[in-house]
Amino acid sequence: MRKLLPLIILLFLQILTYAQDASTATKTSPGSNKFVVYGNAEMSFMSNSDSKGFGEVNFKPIFLWRISPKLFVEAEAEIETGEGSVNLGLEYANMNYMVNQYLTLHAGRFLPKFGAYRGRLAEGFLNRFPSNPAGFGDGGIGASVETGFGALGALPFGSMKVLYDVYVVNGSHLLTDTANAGQFDYEAYIPNNKTMAVGGRIALVPFAKSNLEVGFSYQNKSGTGDLGTVNEKVSLSMQAVDLNYFENIKPIKSTLRITGEYRHQKVGDNAVYLKADGETQYSFANSPSAWYLSGSIRPSLVDSKFFRNLEIAYRYSNYQRPKDAPWGGSNLTSNEYALDYWLHWNSLLKIAYQVKDQEPSTFYASVVFGF
Amino acid sequence: MKKLITYIVIIAIFITGGTALTGCYVSSKVANKSGAQLWGENCNRCHNAPGPGEFNNDNWDIIGTHMQIRANLTKTEVDKITEFLKSANN
Repeated sequence: MRKLLPLIILLFLQILTYAQDASTATKTSPGSNKFVVYGNAEMSFMSNSDSKGFGEVNFKPIFLWRISPKLFVEAEAEIETGEGSVNLGLEYANMNYMVNQYLTLHAGRFLPKFGAYRGRLAEGFLNRFPSNPAGFGDGGIGASVETGFGALGALPFGSMKVLYDVYVVNGSHLLTDTANAGQFDYEAYIPNNKTMAVGGRIALVPFAKSNLEVGFSYQNKSGTGDLGTVNEKVSLSMQAVDLNYFENIKPIKSTLRITGEYRHQKVGDNAVYLKADGETQYSFANSPSAWYLSGSIRPSLVDSKFFRNLEIAYRYSNYQRPKDAPWGGSNLTSNEYALDYWLHWNSLLKIAYQVKDQEPSTFYASVVFGF
Repeated sequence: MKKLITYIVIIAIFITGGTALTGCYVSSKVANKSGAQLWGENCNRCHNAPGPGEFNNDNWDIIGTHMQIRANLTKTEVDKITEFLKSANN
């Protein structure tokens, strides 16, 4: 520890030296504190053999303050009605310090770039479907919202770029109640023990025209159970690989977009849970994974305004759940077909049909307005 | 604790080393890209690119910084893109 301290101090001094670089230094002038609110509103309708009706209404304002060219605050409130009542949540509140053009330090509650779906591509006007892929929504796996600090940026190498995000956060909490034993709370506001999680994502944008991004994410926490419980030292290791590609195909006057992601997590074998009787202890191999692949095509280069605002999309997803978990038992697959109509660059109507294991086939419709 | 410090050291080495290495290693093909080109390429990677004239100049500054964080853009890219987007308002 003592040997490492001078090295750490030296390295951070080096980072701060870059902050003073003349090419990146910017003077703050009076009136430079700028503020804006934007975000999106969303409403959905669903119909299947079991139920029918208008469902979730979400309103997500994003508050942005550019205090100076180097100081920036971003926060998102989330107002949702999905569970039958109005829920107000703090999605994120993140303070950023732009050290130089390749490095930003940040602290707060933030969307960790673990994979690319949650926290980015799941956003209402980015997701071409009204629903989430199997294993990527509520009850799915992988980091979601975290509290801690981190560093992020982009490093150009010739004609390509490496995007990086690294962070130290409270991390996920192991759930031990009867129904959810072995699952995690990925959005906890406060820590549940003394262990912190370390994670990050490295992504490559290999082509000069920046139309392909391939990322690898990792997060590890050595203790996820509540402090003082038998599960305090149950570890959680998570990995994700993501892909995001788009191309304008001139012969068919269309834009092709392909996204995909694979997520896996491994929970320590020392986890112990109680059955519904409150006495019988049990354990199970807990190593779920999920993946999806999605493709969409939009005739964005045709002359007709009506046709260039249409987009068709297909998504396949698969969620491999632990066989012996109370929430597991078998794998889930989902096939989704969507027809979207773009009203504005960030506003659209979505109509989709979903065929999913163990659930009735469902017709969805939703409207998303970005503002 | 030791593990955490090791992770922080690795992170710091990566960031400082990468920053030092790349400060002078951008190909001319990339360095010469216009704001319009960078706007089309980087915005469309995740979402439809908003048109110039969509926001006022102050808002473009804020949104540019937000995207620098959300999409891991460099400051140079953000500056070029926002200058292009502001040009419709001038």
